[in-house]
Amino acid sequence: MSVDLLQTSAETWQDAGTPESRVPELLTVHDDWPVLRRIPGLWQRHALRRQRADDYYAGSRNPERGLPVAENSAVLAFLKDLLGSRRTVVIWLVVLNAAAGFAGLIVPRVLGQLVDRATTGGDDLAASLNGLALGVAGIVVVQALLTFAARRISAVFGQDLLASAREQIVRTVLKLPLSKVESASTGDLVTRVTRDVSTMSGAVRWALPQLVIAGVMTVLTLVAMFANSLLLGLPTIAALVLLFFVVRRYLARAPMGYITEGGTYSVINTSLTESVEGARTVEALGLQDYRTKLTDADIAVSGQAERYTMSLRNLMFLFMDFAYQGPLVFIVLLGGYGYTRGWVTLGQITAAAIYTQQLVEPMDRLVQTLDRLQVGMASTTRLLGIAAVPQDRVPGEELPEGEGLIAADVRFAYREGHDVLHGIDLTVHPGERLAIVGPSGSGKSTLGRLLAGINGPRTGAVQVGGVNLMELPLDVLRTRVALVTQEHHVFVGSIRDNIVLARETTATDDEVNAALAAVDAGDWVERLPDGMRTLVGSGKQVLTPAQAQQVALARLVIADPHTLVLDEATSLIDPQTARHLEGSMAALLEDRAVVAIAHRLHTAHDADRIAVVIDGRIAELGSHHELIDLDGEYASLWRAWTS
Amino acid sequence: MQTFPPRVDAFSVRSRVPGAGSRHPGDPDTSSPSRFLLWILRGQWQIVAISVAMGLLWFLPSALSPYLMGRAIDEGVLTHDFGRTAMWASLMFVSIAIGVVGGVAMHTAAVTGWLIALYRTMQLVVRKVSQLGHVMPRRTPTGEVLSVAAGDSDTFGATTEIVGRAIAALGAFVFVAFLVLNESFKLGVLVLVAAPLLVGAASPLLRPLGRAQATERSRLSELTGMATDIVAGLRILRGVGGERTFGDNYAVQSQRVRESGVVAGTWQAGVDSLAVLLSGLLLVALTWLGTLEMLAGRLTIGQLISFFGYAIFMVWPIQTFFEFVQKWVQGLVSAQKTIATLGQLSPWHAPASPVPLPAHATIVDAKSGFVAEPGRLTVVVSALPDDSAALADRLGRYLPSDEEPVSSDVDDDLRGRARRRAKAGKLRERAERARHDEELAAAQWGVTVGGVDLAQVTLEEVRARILVSDTASLVFAGTLQQLIDPHARASREQADEVLRVANAEEIYDSLPGGWQGILDERGRGLSGGQRQRLVLARALLADPEVLILVEPTSAVDAHTEARIAVRLADHRRGRTTILTSVSPLLLHQADDVVLLVDGVAVVHGTHEHLLATSAAYRSVVARGLEADA
Repeated sequence: MSVDLLQTSAETWQDAGTPESRVPELLTVHDDWPVLRRIPGLWQRHALRRQRADDYYAGSRNPERGLPVAENSAVLAFLKDLLGSRRTVVIWLVVLNAAAGFAGLIVPRVLGQLVDRATTGGDDLAASLNGLALGVAGIVVVQALLTFAARRISAVFGQDLLASAREQIVRTVLKLPLSKVESASTGDLVTRVTRDVSTMSGAVRWALPQLVIAGVMTVLTLVAMFANSLLLGLPTIAALVLLFFVVRRYLARAPMGYITEGGTYSVINTSLTESVEGARTVEALGLQDYRTKLTDADIAVSGQAERYTMSLRNLMFLFMDFAYQGPLVFIVLLGGYGYTRGWVTLGQITAAAIYTQQLVEPMDRLVQTLDRLQVGMASTTRLLGIAAVPQDRVPGEELPEGEGLIAADVRFAYREGHDVLHGIDLTVHPGERLAIVGPSGSGKSTLGRLLAGINGPRTGAVQVGGVNLMELPLDVLRTRVALVTQEHHVFVGSIRDNIVLARETTATDDEVNAALAAVDAGDWVERLPDGMRTLVGSGKQVLTPAQAQQVALARLVIADPHTLVLDEATSLIDPQTARHLEGSMAALLEDRAVVAIAHRLHTAHDADRIAVVIDGRIAELGSHHELIDLDGEYASLWRAWTS
Repeated sequence: MQTFPPRVDAFSVRSRVPGAGSRHPGDPDTSSPSRFLLWILRGQWQIVAISVAMGLLWFLPSALSPYLMGRAIDEGVLTHDFGRTAMWASLMFVSIAIGVVGGVAMHTAAVTGWLIALYRTMQLVVRKVSQLGHVMPRRTPTGEVLSVAAGDSDTFGATTEIVGRAIAALGAFVFVAFLVLNESFKLGVLVLVAAPLLVGAASPLLRPLGRAQATERSRLSELTGMATDIVAGLRILRGVGGERTFGDNYAVQSQRVRESGVVAGTWQAGVDSLAVLLSGLLLVALTWLGTLEMLAGRLTIGQLISFFGYAIFMVWPIQTFFEFVQKWVQGLVSAQKTIATLGQLSPWHAPASPVPLPAHATIVDAKSGFVAEPGRLTVVVSALPDDSAALADRLGRYLPSDEEPVSSDVDDDLRGRARRRAKAGKLRERAERARHDEELAAAQWGVTVGGVDLAQVTLEEVRARILVSDTASLVFAGTLQQLIDPHARASREQADEVLRVANAEEIYDSLPGGWQGILDERGRGLSGGQRQRLVLARALLADPEVLILVEPTSAVDAHTEARIAVRLADHRRGRTTILTSVSPLLLHQADDVVLLVDGVAVVHGTHEHLLATSAAYRSVVARGLEADA
């Protein structure tokens, strides 16, 4: 390989490679400065932080890499769909909350009447007071019971909605097109199914029911207030208008702020996770200071995001608190004037004062829910974006006849204009062993993926039994051709679950046992506490790498494809196990065609034919002895190995 | 004034001075959960004090409003004196304005306090992990360490926030009590006695609520684990099949989470409705008594109206006390988990009289009888890779990596005494592990360099001069340049050179941005072989005196391996290099080859010599070659 691969090295190398502060000097908060000195730049800093939040948000909406993000309208449609099937619960939710709210509104009215009777000096007050107090106490008890029922149904509703939402999303993930799954880094997807699902949870489980509770309470309290006195309701109306503008301004900015903030925490967690998982690497290379500073720098960025949302809230609180408390002053003023004119009674003033105070709590909750809902919506757009990935294959009706796998004039590019395969012709005969060798970057793995039907070629065609691989339904493709990689992931579930994959609905226990025996895993599986029903995977029974590899192989036995594409399949196990597995595989793979993307020369040596791929072309093709006689690339490598 | 992020100086990486078990001044107090919480609060007492002051400024005007309103009604409204009404109303306005400003200041102080506690905990975790290094995963499972940083840190934020607010609420409570006592002794006593009783009445519900929430959390984290699992194995699920099985498994667990969520939600509904009930009853009791007092002529109407206001206001401090109890308990639970991580001590002590590590000297491992001559490339061959890896660990003075960490999780079904006993058992097990580590670290190590045992040398010096790059070496996220040259010590030419030696030029080429190209966390998106070559390049650029590479090319293809073997031998020529491998392509380049059988060095010599003379060697190395030989 030539040195000019590093031709941009001089341009891209930077002399200071240490993690420098990612916070501009302007934003750095000097905690040693007196508070007064920090005030002048306040607004400028706020504007800069807003810019950073907007930029981050814009970037998160249009990811350069990874999966797409859906539109807001998709979220509403999704929600409508979820709510549509739960009409009864929604009705109960509203009715119970309204009843609980209504009960809470009776008490101030009764108190107001009590005051009126006291001022007008009715003598019967003393006599009826005990009864009245008991009556109100009864209402309070009813209110508490209704509150319990309302809160409980909110929990039932929220949890149910959330469970459906996340299950739907995981099913969407499980429908992602094969080529996308194989090419995309899983990081984006992991973030979506963990962090975004959790943010969505907050919105669905908490904010949505709260929105109903607080909304119902607010409307009822306002109605009660005007029923009490139109005049004394006016200050509250004025406050609501003020609140509307303040909250609207806040909500226009807050989501960007919170999404940016959430993003900074995931950065902190990512690098912290690396520091913990790579604790030994950090120690070996003396990176303790580096990693500590990295986390400190991540935290500094997070602190900036927190400052922005804190200022946004402070700006809102300043007006919001006035909107909450101010009306009381005007109720006293208006009430004092109106009382003199005989427009209102003292009882009405009392009730109005209590109502304004009672209004604070649901209004406050309404604002909080709205911003949680917005953040939840942004996460949901990312989750629904997963469904927006276009499918990569159009399954046809035709079923393959025969087992021959033929690649004809195949070209392929990951990036437009950069072909990695340049017109490859290759036939895999039924039952033959074909090894593909070549230096890294030569395109041999890509060729393997095309032969396995993961990706479709840019031009040319890969066909099995006369049908294009990309036109086969996935469940048919899997039982014809399968790609085996070095990833031998063990899923959380039983060993049986881990094996029946390709024929999850049809495989019998006997077939599973036979498959385990075929890969020499019968014995250790039998010795496990629950045999093939033993739970394995992260946090459960731990399998050794060799056992995991055997499980991966047993999956293929069950799938029973006539052609296997093995990519580095045995490279990560120790030589003795490899030999052991190869032995059982040899017996097992009889009558199957095998395309082995080989790292080890002995794999190539054992094959019927060897294809040497160099720079996206087949440079040499033939049996071991033919290639040795050819005295080319393969022969020289073989000599280095054996001499 | 303190602000966030805080500056943290704790858990110094330097070895402990012998005999000194005492804490560094910046280290947290990990002797008990409550002491840890108090340590956090002490560290930010200024902010807590400001929160209290601003909280009072925020609470008190709200407490004052009912009083001012009562006055306005008695002196203005009822007497038809609009001037007096306006006077009291403007006093009310001023009081509210002070409250609003106090609220904003309180919010700022509360957020600051919260974030200081949160960030400080994260910073402590990363420092502790740095201090312990490879000892950390031996003691505590990774997940537990990370949950301290990601979850418990936030709980501490909530705990510090509620402390400030609860003290302010207490102040407001006392203030209102004073107002009420002043206006009517009877009613004052009612408020003072009833409110604490109300707090106590709800506490029996808090315990089952906490348990239900804990169950929900643990089921939820299992569910999240399943989602991550599905994504991690998605290639297999989409390639081989199994979407239905694992989709259904997820759905089943999702339903279990839903069930426990409903249980927790029901308890929460109980707590909420109890608060409604109790504060409502207090309002009724106050009104009843107040009206009686009024009828007896001991209270004016304005004062009675004030009492309604007080009763509504008193809900605030009461709820704040509720919250305080809840969050303090949560804080203690989190503190328990946190000190289990932060309380771990490094087993390494600086030797009493440190000896410098001899340069360019023979390395001898007593246990296996392995010898490596200085300046040569020695390859260790073993049928069992674990044996060579264990040798590499010993040569680099790493504690054995074959033990699983002790989890502090206990079975969810255990309750009461059995649960406490199980927990105590886990703690004992972990303490035992720590004691064992200390013993290993303090004893003769058994590896000598030029006759000096590694235990006589400071650990910093060993690490600086002997580098072991093991198979679990991590590719960190960041730019390619940061990965290869994290210390920013190398020149571009040196960096280009190691990329070439590790045959990683094509990785450079595939990254947009070259040296500034971004690698994902743990090198995700790269193949195993690519990651391995980057790890190799990084180790080479560190340029240690003694370089020990464990299976450096196990995941790369033969073509590439052949190239790396030649370049590596050439690059390290004249410097001590030890690697473990069974590949003939690497063995060809070795100056010396040592064969381990059952962890013991049985023969050594050149590759050709051993191939010719040792049947045991041939059986490990020359697989599949016999047929053609």
